[in-house]
Amino acid sequence: MKLQHYLGGLEGLGPVVFEKRVFVEKWEERIFGIHTAMMALSPQLPLPKTPSTFKTIWTWADLRKGAESLNPFDYFKFRYYEKWLGGISGYFIANGYITEAELEAKTAEYLADPSKPLPTGGDKAIDDRVVQYLVEGDSPKRDVVVEPEFAVGDNVLVKNVPSVEHTRLPGFLRNKAGVVETVYPGAYTYLCDTGPDGVGPAMPVYCVAFDPQVLWPNNTEPNFTLYADLYAAYVAAAPVAMSAAA
Amino acid sequence: MNNRFEYPGDREQKSAARAKALEALLIEKGVITSSTVDTVLNFFDSKMGPFNGAKIVARAWVDPAFKERLVADTPGAIAELDLPEGMAGAEGEHMRAVANGPGVHNLIICTLCSCYPWPVLGLPPYWYKDPTFRSRAAREPRAVLKEFGLNIPNTVEVKVWDSSAQIRWFVVPERPAGTEGLSEAELERLVTPEAMMGVAVAKAA
Repeated sequence: MKLQHYLGGLEGLGPVVFEKRVFVEKWEERIFGIHTAMMALSPQLPLPKTPSTFKTIWTWADLRKGAESLNPFDYFKFRYYEKWLGGISGYFIANGYITEAELEAKTAEYLADPSKPLPTGGDKAIDDRVVQYLVEGDSPKRDVVVEPEFAVGDNVLVKNVPSVEHTRLPGFLRNKAGVVETVYPGAYTYLCDTGPDGVGPAMPVYCVAFDPQVLWPNNTEPNFTLYADLYAAYVAAAPVAMSAAA
Repeated sequence: MNNRFEYPGDREQKSAARAKALEALLIEKGVITSSTVDTVLNFFDSKMGPFNGAKIVARAWVDPAFKERLVADTPGAIAELDLPEGMAGAEGEHMRAVANGPGVHNLIICTLCSCYPWPVLGLPPYWYKDPTFRSRAAREPRAVLKEFGLNIPNTVEVKVWDSSAQIRWFVVPERPAGTEGLSEAELERLVTPEAMMGVAVAKAA
């Protein structure tokens, strides 16, 4: 199991950090911009072709897989965009766009002279596509006929699916009972197929309400409800005895 | 003992050089252009940001029927307003607003990553992305909110929404007392990203 899938409810972490800035170092803006451009230029999107040499798929799922595959101590050690920088540079090396040696050599150049300017050039169609992606988005909603198994008010049990590399099921909800709060209209895909974990194809999504006393008995707060949006692959009918007791 | 939790002294310089080196190589190799990153950043400065959310909340404060529509059909209500293009764009394709009221306080979290409604709020502040916040808010929201300076008594229900699928969430905070004479534009200035995620309430200036 990956600790990153089980963060909700983890104890002993100390006080929260109330840092309101989005970027705490100037360089963080650059890696954010690169990531957003990669998502926009990713070839599975129905956007105009451009001269960009980016030909491999990059979505949030790829970024998340990188963060989830980290040593959990490193996950806590490194700042948010430090993890992005590591994951994204690694992706460009692993997919043959650049080599580790090139990146090291260029890094040494900019370490020696941080004010050395970036190269210039590139086709405007690339930037236009990036803006078009931001404006239009990439809706996961699909107009397929689905018959949601559950209705608002139904008692459900979260499955303990065999997640491997990536999941959208918060670990603290596995095997827990809840009540359907919303059945979202339509069906939703996920950015990649998570294999035996079960998400990817279009399926209903539910918002499920959980009693925190069920999640963390005698170790939570009163007058509090936790809600989570869950793909149908993660939701099963509650056993009859459990429904009767609820 | 190992040095796992020690950071090198040139931590930031090295990351800055590596990020710049990566951007330079991607420009040289034709992946992006020399203006791509700035184009993205400019978009978040001018089109997608908390300035949109502030307008939406201010309208909800002055128009109760709009507030009802905003909660019932968030994208439809947002589309009524004169906001920049892209309000159903990246990370806002499917949004849902929840409203605070006299007996209920809402808090938005993402325990798996950092899902955030880009069109209305822009990019997430560091506190939202912090694993400590994400872990603790799921089990002890009042204790966490207290550290943010917000006391929610046990008589008020706390609703915590974990963004684990493709819906992006935000909070419509309550209109602060003593703002009856303010214009909509003046009200906008009282709406913070923190209030729209539920770790703060809106306050009269």
